[in-house]
Amino acid sequence: MSERQDLTVREEALAERNRQISTVAPLVDILENDNEILLFADMPGVDKKDISINIDNGRLALSGIREVKPVGAVTWEEFGDVEYRRTFSVPQTIDVAGVNAELKEGVLLLHLPKSESAKPRQIEIKAG
Amino acid sequence: MWTRIRDFDRMFQAMDLLHSRLNGVVQNDVQPRLPAAAWGITESGPRTNMYDTGETLEIRVEVPGIKKDDLNIKLQGNYLEIRGTRKAESQEGFLTHRVERGATSFTRSFTLPSEVDSNKVEATLKDGILTLVLDKAEPAKPKQIAIN
Repeated sequence: MSERQDLTVREEALAERNRQISTVAPLVDILENDNEILLFADMPGVDKKDISINIDNGRLALSGIREVKPVGAVTWEEFGDVEYRRTFSVPQTIDVAGVNAELKEGVLLLHLPKSESAKPRQIEIKAG
Repeated sequence: MWTRIRDFDRMFQAMDLLHSRLNGVVQNDVQPRLPAAAWGITESGPRTNMYDTGETLEIRVEVPGIKKDDLNIKLQGNYLEIRGTRKAESQEGFLTHRVERGATSFTRSFTLPSEVDSNKVEATLKDGILTLVLDKAEPAKPKQIAIN
């Protein structure tokens, strides 16, 4: 019984934290060539340290938190604090260890290299 | 016969429990569908914030993926115009799976709430946010009035 109470309390705490900041899915572009998959995600105003990228069990989870620090009096405000969050399925052929990310002008760029075995290969016919 | 009904009953109870637990899991851990950020740079222009600190006006504009050279800011009296273009992220030899961001160009203009000193404008671009700090013109600045 006591265990169950503990569980419900924790759920409420989570819900509260989620309500403070709204979550949106960032817009993305996904490109692919023979060697890698590129993922561009728009995350304006997100600092490098506030971005987390997790790859686990074939799922890539992106999360970036933006804090808008207002100064003085607000005349108008069309964008505010937000969490950019989106999850993608990653094919098995991605070399997880080789994934790298860069953040430039509010755009997150992920390089997802394909593992050697997944790259297309030209097979040569040996002269018999 | 009765024992069999009880068996069914027990099975259904277990299924109900599983069902409600799964509902809990879905509600807590998996967000069913996030609202799409249909608020990139649209035809009506990027989203902006404006703050008034008394001495200055501060305007912030969301311009992800736009380089410094692709932005054009014009100030005329208290009329401010911001223009920008973004090129598509097309790269040689790449296959496109999904394009949501795309290339756009926009113009957005404002009438500022007070006169500003056009010589004292500071524009910075960081992490896809353009920040403009405009000094108010002398008559528009707040003044402390001393009581004699």
